[in-house]
Amino acid sequence: MPKVQIKHLTKIFGKRQKAALKMVEENKSKNEIFEKTGSTVGVYDINLDVNEGEIFVIMGLSGSGKSTLIRLLNRLIEPTSGEIFLDGKNITHYNKKEMLDIRRKKMSMVFQNFALFPHRTILENTEFGLEIQGVPAAERRERAEKALENSKLLSFKDQYPSQLSGGMQQRVGLSRALTNDPDILLMDEAFSALDPLVRHEMQDELLDLQANVKKTIIFITHDLNEALRLGDRIAIMKDGQLQQIGTGEEILTNPANDYVENFVEDVDRSKVLNAESIMIPGLTVNADTDGPNVALHRMSEEEVSGLVAVDGNRKFVGYVTSDAAVNARREKLTLRDVITAMPTVTPDMIVSDIMPIIYDAHTPVAVVDENQKLHGIIIRGAVIEALAQTEGDNND
Amino acid sequence: MINLLSVAKLPIDSWVTDGVNWLTKNLSGFFTAIQNSGSSTMDGITNFLTAIPMPIFIIALALISWLLTPKKYGQPFFILIGLALVANQGLWSDLMQTLTLVLMASAVSLVIGIPLGIWTAKSPKAYMVIKPILDFMQTMPAFVYLIPAVAFFGIGVVPGAFASVIFALPPVVNFTYLGLQQVPTDLVEAADSFGATTWQKLFKLELPNAKNTIIAGAKQTIMLALSMVVTASMIGAPGLGRGVLSAVQHADVGSGFVNGIALVILAIIIDRFVQRMNTEPVSAPKLPKWRKLATWAMLAVIAISGIAGSITAHQASGKKVNIGYVEWDSEVASTNVLAEAMRQHGYDVTITPLDNAVNWQSVANKQTDATVSAWLPNTHKALYAKYKNDVDLLGPNLTGVKLGLVVPDYMNVNSIADLTNQANKTITGIEPGAGVMAAAQKTIDSYGNLSGWNLQASSSGAMVSALDKAYKDKQPIILTGWSPHWMFNKYKLKYLADPKGTMGSQETINTVVRKNLKQTNPDVYKVMKKFHWTQDDMQTVMLDIQNGKTPTKAADDWINKHKSQVNAWFK
Repeated sequence: MPKVQIKHLTKIFGKRQKAALKMVEENKSKNEIFEKTGSTVGVYDINLDVNEGEIFVIMGLSGSGKSTLIRLLNRLIEPTSGEIFLDGKNITHYNKKEMLDIRRKKMSMVFQNFALFPHRTILENTEFGLEIQGVPAAERRERAEKALENSKLLSFKDQYPSQLSGGMQQRVGLSRALTNDPDILLMDEAFSALDPLVRHEMQDELLDLQANVKKTIIFITHDLNEALRLGDRIAIMKDGQLQQIGTGEEILTNPANDYVENFVEDVDRSKVLNAESIMIPGLTVNADTDGPNVALHRMSEEEVSGLVAVDGNRKFVGYVTSDAAVNARREKLTLRDVITAMPTVTPDMIVSDIMPIIYDAHTPVAVVDENQKLHGIIIRGAVIEALAQTEGDNND
Repeated sequence: MINLLSVAKLPIDSWVTDGVNWLTKNLSGFFTAIQNSGSSTMDGITNFLTAIPMPIFIIALALISWLLTPKKYGQPFFILIGLALVANQGLWSDLMQTLTLVLMASAVSLVIGIPLGIWTAKSPKAYMVIKPILDFMQTMPAFVYLIPAVAFFGIGVVPGAFASVIFALPPVVNFTYLGLQQVPTDLVEAADSFGATTWQKLFKLELPNAKNTIIAGAKQTIMLALSMVVTASMIGAPGLGRGVLSAVQHADVGSGFVNGIALVILAIIIDRFVQRMNTEPVSAPKLPKWRKLATWAMLAVIAISGIAGSITAHQASGKKVNIGYVEWDSEVASTNVLAEAMRQHGYDVTITPLDNAVNWQSVANKQTDATVSAWLPNTHKALYAKYKNDVDLLGPNLTGVKLGLVVPDYMNVNSIADLTNQANKTITGIEPGAGVMAAAQKTIDSYGNLSGWNLQASSSGAMVSALDKAYKDKQPIILTGWSPHWMFNKYKLKYLADPKGTMGSQETINTVVRKNLKQTNPDVYKVMKKFHWTQDDMQTVMLDIQNGKTPTKAADDWINKHKSQVNAWFK
């Protein structure tokens, strides 16, 4: 039996709901419906199951209704029609008191902007859920401290949210949700407000956590990469309606419709693929001012084994491998002395012409214009993926 | 479209009057209960505050201020200097009475206002109903609240508090609403998602978040209550307001300033103490324990000395009497002489300065025992007609009073009938409720040559100031005058002849007492019946006051010179 089941769930905001519903059935767009009726379609006829212990990701652009959907689950927003089952029990018509109980024991929520209470310390924030339930102070304190310890924040327990960084605040938000020991974690774009590095870290932590605690997590995001990293299964929404549910792989290989296809593609295939469209920004080192130590430091920092060398004007010079840099350090040489050659292509060169160069090269390929300015580099995987997609196109 | 001007005037004023009368009649028990419990509570607080020895109070308060804000010496220093100055000016008990009024009005406003604010924030319907009422309350001139306040609660400190509450309530309601509305929605959502009930949300999230906004509203409320003190003194609220009001009526700049500055000092001190409660959790430095303990100790010192003071305070005997009067120089003289004389004979006398109409009303409603300020038959004709069934008229206490239009003797008019366009066709008058003003208006209406003239209302003091200015510049001026008055001794003035007699012929000043005084307090009744003196007597006292003696001092001096005459009143 699935942990959460949603059947024909619909939410219309506004007054003239009947007219709006009718227009949805006629496949009118959200904007059109709003202009005609003044009502907004939050979500329409959603059916999905979420299994115990999986991370179920709901994706969509802003306005697609994903945040509405997650709030319908714990009924912060009341559904217009449809049913929600939790552990096989229909909770759609639970009264206020029963619903409070579900929110206290079964589901906890993590918010995009952390939603920490500014007038409470970290510890007081973390124990909020238990305090609401009337758990004795000593016990709730102990449980909250344990949760904070797991997220390595115990030393900050007497500070206030405004004194913490974004990543730390979101860890508090997560600890606050976990302190209740809920069956289900609802995460509403929980990592979207964090910078990319911290975001990456938090995703890893969530995966580690999931390996330990095996919660059912319903995760909302608008970022495909995040969905692919975290999601056991992914649902894609548009204008309040589900487009497709499946594993990441299924969605990439068999997009159900054009919308999904466009949504998941990283490369715009309407253009002819050229070097520029598959290159990534190159990691560079300045051959004139940086030495081998700097180069090595940057390589370990960026987790690569080589860097493109440029001069002060960002003109392309060559390639520095890690071996060469180590060598230079030992021999007290400059970077210029140890630069190896690197194949170059121009930005407008098309992929099929780049292929042979890529196959022969031991290094990435530099994309350089006629003035020797470096635009980016091309790595092997990018070309292969681009080609695989174009081949798929030909089979259409 | 209907021409609005052709529609008969709607009798809105009589509707309101009927409404208030109905309330007064049907809820009189309720109002009386509030009046009595309110008075005794506030008198209790005032007695307690006044019983605290002044130096202890000042020093303890300054210490508390220093204990709560370490490293800041400005505020304790200000408290020391400011309060010492107030005490030095002899306004300490006035300050305590004002403080009581402000504390009471603020407390009631906050107790009513904060829940109202919460209700408006939680219920859009309640907001739609309450918001316009609040706007109405805030923009209605505060004076208007005095009228129903007197009708409901009579005179004294309770109607003052009542009017202050109505006037000061809106900000705290508005700010509470605002503070609760401004709690970020995602925080409310978070509290909801953890299953918080409405009350838990309110106490754990919304109120703590809105606290600073609410305190800002409370501060405004306290300041408004403080500003109402002056207005409320017109209906007998005691304290510094009375000093300011009397200074206005006598055009006494110095005394007005001194009373005003005392109010300012009080306002600043209250404001700073309230401000102290408004803190950010992160930046708030934790007070060391000893400072907290010391603060409590100081409060205990104040409380204990107050209680001890109240116990040992001399409780006056039961010969209580409350005499109402109007702040005219003549009435200040007579009422103070009578009060001092009665005090010397063992009575516990309160004298309450009131607006003329309110003064009559208070005797009629038995809220004051008597007044010796009834000018009859003409000047207070309308008031006497209104209340004659509810009061006892004991007869004249001073005869040979004259009312009339008065001009400096350098003006070459001698009769009201000679007036054409002198002094910009303006008659300079006194308070709008005064009897002489009614007579002057009647005069303007009766004399054909006065059509188009206007009667300029001000106050007794302002009128004399205007006279002084005009006299120095030899400018024409026409006054609503009466004698006995010291201005006839200070300036060369003359009455204008009054062929039609509209300003009243010879008048007398009479004593009026409440209906059942004879039965309930025969001693006082007897004194009132016997009290009388002459124009010369009054003029002497008035001049003394005018030349800078306090009213009580001037009264005492006169009594000492006229022992036998005074003693005759008590036989």
